[in-house]
Amino acid sequence: MTAEAHIFRLDAVSKRYGVTVALDNINLSVERNEYVSLLGPSGSGKTVLLRTIAGFETPDEGRIEINGRDVSSLPAHERGIGFVFQNFALFPHLSVADNIGFGLANRNDPLPHDEIVDRVSDIIKLVGLEGLGARGVGQISGGQKQRVALARTLVTEPKLILLDEPLGALDANLRGRMRNELRAIRERLGVTFLHVTGSETEALAMGDRVIVLDRGHIAQFDHPDHVYSKPATPNVAKFLNRYNMFDGSISGSAFKSEYGDLAFIQKTKSDHPAYAVRYDRVAVDSDGSAGKGPSLPANFIASEYLGSSIMYFFEAIGGKVIEVEHHLSHGAPKTFEPKKSYRLRWKPEDAIVFG
Amino acid sequence: MESRVLKPILAVYVALFILFLYGPFFILTILSFQQGPEGGPQFPIIEWSTYWYRHIFGLTEASRVAPLPVGQAMTRSLILAFMTMVTSTVLGVMSAQAFRKKFKGSDIVFYLIVLGMITPGLLTGLGVALVSKNIFNVDRHWWSTAFVSHVVYTFPFAFLVMLAILNRFDASVEEASWSLGVSPMRTFRKVTFPLIFPGVLSSMLFAFTLSYDEFSRTLLSSNEQTLPLAIYGTFAVEIHPNIFAFGVLTTLFSFSLLAVYAILMGLSVRRAKKIAIQEEIG
Repeated sequence: MTAEAHIFRLDAVSKRYGVTVALDNINLSVERNEYVSLLGPSGSGKTVLLRTIAGFETPDEGRIEINGRDVSSLPAHERGIGFVFQNFALFPHLSVADNIGFGLANRNDPLPHDEIVDRVSDIIKLVGLEGLGARGVGQISGGQKQRVALARTLVTEPKLILLDEPLGALDANLRGRMRNELRAIRERLGVTFLHVTGSETEALAMGDRVIVLDRGHIAQFDHPDHVYSKPATPNVAKFLNRYNMFDGSISGSAFKSEYGDLAFIQKTKSDHPAYAVRYDRVAVDSDGSAGKGPSLPANFIASEYLGSSIMYFFEAIGGKVIEVEHHLSHGAPKTFEPKKSYRLRWKPEDAIVFG
Repeated sequence: MESRVLKPILAVYVALFILFLYGPFFILTILSFQQGPEGGPQFPIIEWSTYWYRHIFGLTEASRVAPLPVGQAMTRSLILAFMTMVTSTVLGVMSAQAFRKKFKGSDIVFYLIVLGMITPGLLTGLGVALVSKNIFNVDRHWWSTAFVSHVVYTFPFAFLVMLAILNRFDASVEEASWSLGVSPMRTFRKVTFPLIFPGVLSSMLFAFTLSYDEFSRTLLSSNEQTLPLAIYGTFAVEIHPNIFAFGVLTTLFSFSLLAVYAILMGLSVRRAKKIAIQEEIG
């Protein structure tokens, strides 16, 4: 791939705060016109990574390239990026329109007034804020603030926009709507979005590709379906919140755990052995005998209705909670008796084993 | 109940507090309406009159009581207070801005700045007077040595006010501005400064009033009299109610300064409140 295809590239970027390593030798390149989500638990360094690309933080080592230009030593205002904050960071003393036009009017080469007015009114239409231009930013709702924050960035026409948990401050309903809008706006303008989120559903739903960050290094960078069905490390599987995880060790063709030997077919190379099986791949059997294939006994605790599926919670030996997801399209929900023992089974080919 | 005991005690406490705070001014105001020129600065009031007010402005016939020699001193004091206000506030904003990032030796610098308001005024004044003449060979004047000692004294107040304001300042609006391609200098002017303006106003008020009132540092570091020195000077001769009348007028002046401050502050707070309330509704 030529350098032209990349909108930005990180070369061995590291950042430490005292003894804590926030970014550990990050190598990353993202293509133009792509929606990339950056997933990681809190403390994984995802916000630091974003702020380092933006120029708000200086890396200790490494090189940052944006649009084919080395920006490692450039201050934030010369990098030509956009940044959308979780708390929106609107200018409280300016109106909606002045917030949106702020960048155009205050750059080193400000645009003529008429052109600013034109561009601001265009972008106001694009993000659906018609009629609100004269309002103070305190006089609009959370979703509208989000749009102002986005419009303010879009109007300066950056090729790369960094979004730091932009939907975190919105309620669930609005978050769903804004997800679609963000994707639609991005596709229309052909810019690259790098969207940081702590929510695995958001990351998988929005990204053309997903970066999973784990304690300062990139654990996986792939398409969402691959991340979902083939997590690269035990921690990735854990963040996805869709897998029952078991500790233990591999011996020969079985995985030794406190629930006995669990069979599997394929394994993924990893420093930390772990056995993972997705919630929706586990079946519940009222017959308590071991039978063939991997299985374990567990007591039923409770169930939770989720609309299109139902979650069953079981308790295995040692108090470990095992979750089973039953899609209602696959049949009517079953009823289980609390505290009664059942056998949980899955196919060995559905197990993902690290070791 | 606890409040049954505590409430009267607190009431008495507050009453005493107010008495000591405003009592002297109240007496002073009454005495300033003493009859003149024979009436002295004590009770009883022989006859109510505005004689001493007219006396200050030279509107009375010549008498054995000389007019207050404060005209020039007041001009000096006002100019000096203004110069001090501008310098201390600029320094205060700049140094508080510097303290937003921890730098090497920031602790020591912090205490060095704050030291300016703790050191005994009379000795500082003496020190400034001696050092300026003997080491730098600079003559003592209200606009040179006294000005410096005023700045050293009021700068820490302005600095502390700005430090408190910037402590609560959300830096992400500045980062947002940079990310839009706006330089840090322009960001400060267009974003930071308007948002910290109420604090700047408070710093200005502090610096102005402290300087306008300053006595101990000015006594030895200035060759000329400022207003507090001039007033003190008249005590040495004989006290007439014209000083009280003058006291009332300067206090009214201070109140009008406070009123201007309150109005400006009210405007910016109201704007902030409007935003906050609508945020809650939204």
